[in-house]
Amino acid sequence: MLIEQQTFERYDETSVAAGEAPPPRWSFLKRYASGVAPFFAILLQFGLIVVAVHNWQIESLSLARLMQLAFVGFVIHHLLPLRFRLPFFALLSLFAVVTALGQMGPKTWVTWLTGRISFTNFLYHLTPGLTLIGIGLALIGLCHIPIRFWARVALVAVAGAALTLFRAHSQWFPEVGEMWVILGSMFIFRLVVYLYDLKHRTAPFSLARAISYFFMVPNPSFPLFPIVDYKTFCSTYYNEDWVRVYQTGLRWMIRGVFQLLLYRLIYQFAPLDITKLSSALDVVGFMVGTYLLYLRISGSFHLIVGVLHMFGFNLPETHHLYLLASSFTDLWRRINIYWKDFVMKVFFYPAYFKLRKMGTLRAMSVATLATFFATWLLHSWQWFWIRGSPLFTWLDVSFWAILAILVLLNGLYEATVGQRRMLTTSRVSVPGRLILGLQTIGTFAVICTLWTVWSCQSWGELQTLADVASRPTPGEVAIVLAGLAAIGASGMLWGRSSRETSEGRLTQAARGPFHFWRSAAGVGAGAICLLAAPSVIIWTMPSTKHVVARLHYDALNARDMSLQRRGYYEQLDVRGANVTRKEIAPRTIAWQWRKAQQMPPGWQDGAKVICRKRSDFLMSEVVPSRSAVVSGAIATTNHLGMRDREYEKTKATNTYRAVLLGSSHDLGSGVKDEETYENLVEDHLNHQPPNPRYSRYEILNMSTSGDSVLQMLLRLEQIGFEYGPDAAILSVAAVERQLLVQHVRKSLTLGIDPPSHYREFLGRIVHKAGVHGRMADIMIERRLLPYVSEMYEWVFGRFAQQCEQRGVRPVVIYRPGPVDFEGLEQLGRNEIIRLARAAKLEVIDLAPAFDSVANRDTLIIAKWDDHTNALGHRLLADKLYESLVPLLRIASPTVFNPHQ
Amino acid sequence: MNEQEIQATSRTFILNEFLPGEDPAALTDTTALVTTGILDSIAVLKVVTFLENQFGITIEPHEAVVENLNTLSDIARLVMSKKA
Repeated sequence: MLIEQQTFERYDETSVAAGEAPPPRWSFLKRYASGVAPFFAILLQFGLIVVAVHNWQIESLSLARLMQLAFVGFVIHHLLPLRFRLPFFALLSLFAVVTALGQMGPKTWVTWLTGRISFTNFLYHLTPGLTLIGIGLALIGLCHIPIRFWARVALVAVAGAALTLFRAHSQWFPEVGEMWVILGSMFIFRLVVYLYDLKHRTAPFSLARAISYFFMVPNPSFPLFPIVDYKTFCSTYYNEDWVRVYQTGLRWMIRGVFQLLLYRLIYQFAPLDITKLSSALDVVGFMVGTYLLYLRISGSFHLIVGVLHMFGFNLPETHHLYLLASSFTDLWRRINIYWKDFVMKVFFYPAYFKLRKMGTLRAMSVATLATFFATWLLHSWQWFWIRGSPLFTWLDVSFWAILAILVLLNGLYEATVGQRRMLTTSRVSVPGRLILGLQTIGTFAVICTLWTVWSCQSWGELQTLADVASRPTPGEVAIVLAGLAAIGASGMLWGRSSRETSEGRLTQAARGPFHFWRSAAGVGAGAICLLAAPSVIIWTMPSTKHVVARLHYDALNARDMSLQRRGYYEQLDVRGANVTRKEIAPRTIAWQWRKAQQMPPGWQDGAKVICRKRSDFLMSEVVPSRSAVVSGAIATTNHLGMRDREYEKTKATNTYRAVLLGSSHDLGSGVKDEETYENLVEDHLNHQPPNPRYSRYEILNMSTSGDSVLQMLLRLEQIGFEYGPDAAILSVAAVERQLLVQHVRKSLTLGIDPPSHYREFLGRIVHKAGVHGRMADIMIERRLLPYVSEMYEWVFGRFAQQCEQRGVRPVVIYRPGPVDFEGLEQLGRNEIIRLARAAKLEVIDLAPAFDSVANRDTLIIAKWDDHTNALGHRLLADKLYESLVPLLRIASPTVFNPHQ
Repeated sequence: MNEQEIQATSRTFILNEFLPGEDPAALTDTTALVTTGILDSIAVLKVVTFLENQFGITIEPHEAVVENLNTLSDIARLVMSKKA
């Protein structure tokens, strides 16, 4: 069963010896410089990268721990004699599986060893990892049962079907829920490669190799993992001098970390929210940004393969300058090369060789289409293992179908007309480079467009993009052309470089030069930059501290949090009860949605208990006398239909009563009843009354989840004034401007008429925006956005007028969002405050309440839910009390004077 | 037919088919063809078809790999092993 390759053995002996047994004529210093010094330099670089991964919280805490484990493992691995290294790597990989899946850090071990947790508890941590290892070993065992090969394949298929069933019902095994994703990433594709190589006996097989191959160290932290080829995995093991193998790995790791941080920057700050695009340049930013989100994959694959290099696996590059592809076939060869190699090996070549009797071009065409069909199907399969349900959408089908046709046409062109190839790239003429540059521009533009289509969730989104991009200014055109020229110039310079690989029995000379110290200096400098950059940037530009803090960990961006929020509100929507997270999750950021996936089941269900829909313009209301867990905290409603304490409908004498109108933040989603800022302020006012005339202060919280300012105003007019308030407080926030356009959009699409006194104004807005109920939701919202200020202005004006008529003191409080995803808060806040003051309203700006908090992410209730947490409510309450007291002590000039 | 002759025949084919105008001397027996992108997947298919027709051998899909086709020496070794 075991077939050892000659080349494999040869590389083992020669290359390692090169580093460990230098010729005797070398001087001590030379030997030191060629062996020990490089090793310590490598160790230093690896250490710096591990610290950088930890500091920037790349991917997850699990990866940081895994990198630390890999670092320690690397040292031991390198110092071991060669014959022990592979078994050691296999054991280290198994250990990594157990610790990563059990979320076991050093503390877990210490608490168990010191007896602070029981063995049963400790075993609980081990369960997911041990289960995965058990299943994995069983699958490997099935591949080697001494029966006919196809019988073994059938057995593996049956086992796979059973595991698929279990994955689909992962709730059956709650203790090992996280395991399925990693099991899928380890086995669903690699098992195919393994069986293929086993059938053709193209590589050596042993238990240590099999364990190393399937459980390889970095895998437990990555649900998306490159499909490492088994033969390449074996044949490149220490196939070159270890210094070169390790240093290449370090270079790729640092490149991977940079790409992941660049991804994070783009994910957080690029214009990725279609509803907020306002110019043709924004649309281009969206298209390029969407494509560049792929950096998440290329970055993590670089990191993964880099780690494997540190254990001697001299694997080739997984991606090679894919942004500079000059044709569709070229892109196919540069982007996710391991995937390309996998489908070529398992689908394309077998299909082509079977069909070639029908003619080269025909066989190639059929094989190409079959390969792309398999690619689409397997991506859906992979999606199933990550998300628990397969991906079948027409956009996905369209993307792969279009790409297949483009690659096929390109391939047929190359097969018939031919492609200019050179033995040395330096011989390429200037016109040749110019053509290459133009081809690079064309490919980049088409792929960006295709990627955009793939990423959009609906036809409406595409229409919206076209709508926004339809009137570009000359300046915007110039910027886009300059960007494309830069892409073209890069293609001219680097477009012909070939992928880095040690495959194919290449000699050292054929591989190109290797300068260890130059490379080490580059990697070291890069790692130091990563570590020092945050402090330096904040020191030089203090205003960027929020931006830097935002980049420091994987958080949902504004668009995804908005979708998440929409998922929350849509549950209350008249027609949106069946909206699921899956439906609103964009395709390209599916992996980011793992954060959202961490949301505990039923997290948003409580909102449906305490809030219910209405069929009028208010659209929703709080249900009286209910109690439910809303976003992780118990929320109780009173008999008046408020998330608040019990109050009599009629105000008692000597009582100062205010009604508060706001949204879910003001309602206190995710915090306990007594923790809402409204209750904290009320308590404070009653504890230290600012005005002796009143013995009691009441703030009636009429906030309702998802309320726009229009709903707040209407709620006040229809219900709030009945409570005889002395003051009405309208809570507004910049990030909730979106709620306003959503509200108007819903009234249009659902055919809900606004109240008579709102109708004329809203009709005018709808007319000016050119929207109607049959348009795509996203288009309506985007077209309404320019009129948000006008709507606020009208609301504030009416709010002031209605309060004045009833002798109620109108107050607007500006409530900051706990996180400012896009840095738009300042702008939105200034505008809202300006409009409120213009309407002669008293304004309390609570924005400074969060100024003392460096990392605003500490103010949200969970990373999948951006509602203000208890700390945030406390800070808001302190600021609101401080601002309210002077107002309550003195009279309102026109409305109310408690001293009179 | 020996290894040198196979290399010479293959060299002529590759120069004519994929590298017209290139200096024949620059294509040595150890010049990397697949890993440098001179032979991409489509070119590999053409080389395989040529080798099968020219030398009367049958190449299996799993043999159309970088180890067997990366250099003229590799190609010659593959053909020799198939003819043996």
